[in-house]
Amino acid sequence: MSKLKTVIKHEYWTIVKQPSFWISMIATPLLIAVAFGLSYLGNAASEDRIEELAKDLKNVAIVDQSGLISHDIIQGNGLEISPSYQEEMLREQVINGETEALIVYPDTLAKDRKYSVYMSSDDLTKMGAVTGLADGMLKTSIFLGLGSADVIALAQNGAESQVTTYRDGEATAGLNEYVVPGLFIVIFYIVFLFSVGYMLTSVSEEKENRSMEMVLTYVKPRNLIVGKLLAVILVTLTQVVFFVLMAAVVYGIALLLGNTLTLPAGIDMQKIVFDPVTILFAAAFLVVGFLMFAGFMTATAAIAPSSKEANNFSTVFYVGAFVPFWFITMILTDPENPVTKFITYFPVTSPVVSLIRNTVGNMGTLETISALVVMTIFMVFSVWLAVRSFSLGALEYASAVKVRSLLKK
Amino acid sequence: MLMKQPIVSVKDFSLRIGEKTIVRDLSFDVHPGEVFALLGANGSGKTSTIRSLLGIYKSTDGTLHVDGKRYTPEQARLVGYLPEERGLYTRSKVLDTMIYFGELKGLGRDEAREFSLSYLDRVGLADKANTKIKKLSGGQQQKVQLGVAIIGEPKLLILDEPTKGLDPVNRKLLLDIVDELQNKGAAVIYITHLMEEVERLADRLLILKDGKARAYGGIAEVKKKFKSKSLEDVFVSIYNEKSTEAKDV
Repeated sequence: MSKLKTVIKHEYWTIVKQPSFWISMIATPLLIAVAFGLSYLGNAASEDRIEELAKDLKNVAIVDQSGLISHDIIQGNGLEISPSYQEEMLREQVINGETEALIVYPDTLAKDRKYSVYMSSDDLTKMGAVTGLADGMLKTSIFLGLGSADVIALAQNGAESQVTTYRDGEATAGLNEYVVPGLFIVIFYIVFLFSVGYMLTSVSEEKENRSMEMVLTYVKPRNLIVGKLLAVILVTLTQVVFFVLMAAVVYGIALLLGNTLTLPAGIDMQKIVFDPVTILFAAAFLVVGFLMFAGFMTATAAIAPSSKEANNFSTVFYVGAFVPFWFITMILTDPENPVTKFITYFPVTSPVVSLIRNTVGNMGTLETISALVVMTIFMVFSVWLAVRSFSLGALEYASAVKVRSLLKK
Repeated sequence: MLMKQPIVSVKDFSLRIGEKTIVRDLSFDVHPGEVFALLGANGSGKTSTIRSLLGIYKSTDGTLHVDGKRYTPEQARLVGYLPEERGLYTRSKVLDTMIYFGELKGLGRDEAREFSLSYLDRVGLADKANTKIKKLSGGQQQKVQLGVAIIGEPKLLILDEPTKGLDPVNRKLLLDIVDELQNKGAAVIYITHLMEEVERLADRLLILKDGKARAYGGIAEVKKKFKSKSLEDVFVSIYNEKSTEAKDV
């Protein structure tokens, strides 16, 4: 027990004391926030510039063969409609640079939904301004027949749906039910992307720096692997606590600045549901799934002769963890589909699929339990495989451990 | 002289990995206070024998005992091992690494710390205690590796080519440390290709060829048996024998 504690302590501090651990933890959300901020500000500035340019576009010719474009709208933009027979001449003017742009709405516009824009330069911003102007004039002309500005806005932007669902005759909380179990999916990916790799690095580094043989003289492989796994769990908890604190600080600052948190899709903080059974299953899927991946990563590192090869092999697990998103519609809407069933039980896809299905509640209790049992079996297998591969492959520096020798008694 | 109970006792040990026989019917003892040289060309089975003795490899036949029983990491305090394929956690600090290995051997944290600081002082690395291992030179790293092996003053010290790559000053320092441990009663299994080190340090030796013992006994006894003046001649004559069929010794 004391050796296990020693290994856990050593592995935990080895990871947590690395500057790269903190840099990646702080930098990742910061970079995402900066990227979002910059893209928001940049897009807003670009849109403003395009709008400004669009307002200044006076040397633009318009030919309307479709009859769909309102002359009032055109004039409102300070432009004029030219007759169709002038199209060739106007295009020549564009080519010569005498006219900035020519917009041609053909008679097949309604059928083909295509129109032409000719421009005197390939300036992307100007192109955006002209196409934006052309598109705006087309849409506004068509919506004009609808009447009031409110109706036009409704037709252009659509409306937000407010869904009320009932279960057993009682109104449910709708999307508010998905928030807490859904957070476990987010935590799973954070943990997966940040922590599972530590097992791979930890084992392959020990192999590469040749410290393995000295370590194995004083500690059993099982203790070493279990110690590393438990240390990675502690590292993960540190990360989760850090992210929660960071979110709380950001939320606190937002409140201090007088803002309230606006959640998407009509989610209301007051109505978020905390269902203990769903949360319990989500936590179980998270922990078991994490340990299963960590076990497979360890086995991979122990089997591969170098960290480079271990990294190559581990791609399979990273792909597996993201594959469920290719099937997301099916997972959400067709729980009885054999493919949905298969990926619910298949080891590398099961944690994410089970977490998603548990969140949206399309998994019966029996299926949830059986998925958890199967995942636990794979988790135990992965840890066994990790210890076994480690015992056989820890001192193999030249070649990978053969599958045959893993299965030999 | 009254022979003490051996600290290492290997009887009829064989090791097969896959289809290949690595070691065949090997028997030897190592006693407290002696330096026992385990010799042989590359691939002769020396490292595999040590790994089997320390339970890292599972023997196919025979018994390998340390202090009267099969070695498990529970007896870690008894053993110090400096393997040929050696290295340390490059991203960890010197003192942290030594304390970690000390704790793995069953020493208390304070005891491990005290030993480590005194050892680092002795080998001239006191100022490097809080330096990351990757920042040390090869020779300095080797001294830390030896420190990790001898932390807790083990009763059995296994050194696999410990002086490889060391300059004469540090080589002497290392051999002095080995002498000291031997004088305190530790048994040393010394693996090397340098025969002058064997002549200087070892009490007895075993030469392996193709996984089989070809010479075993006191230095003078072996030389006499092979009618050679030096161990190098003994070694060369064993390896120049055409027959690959091993002779029992």
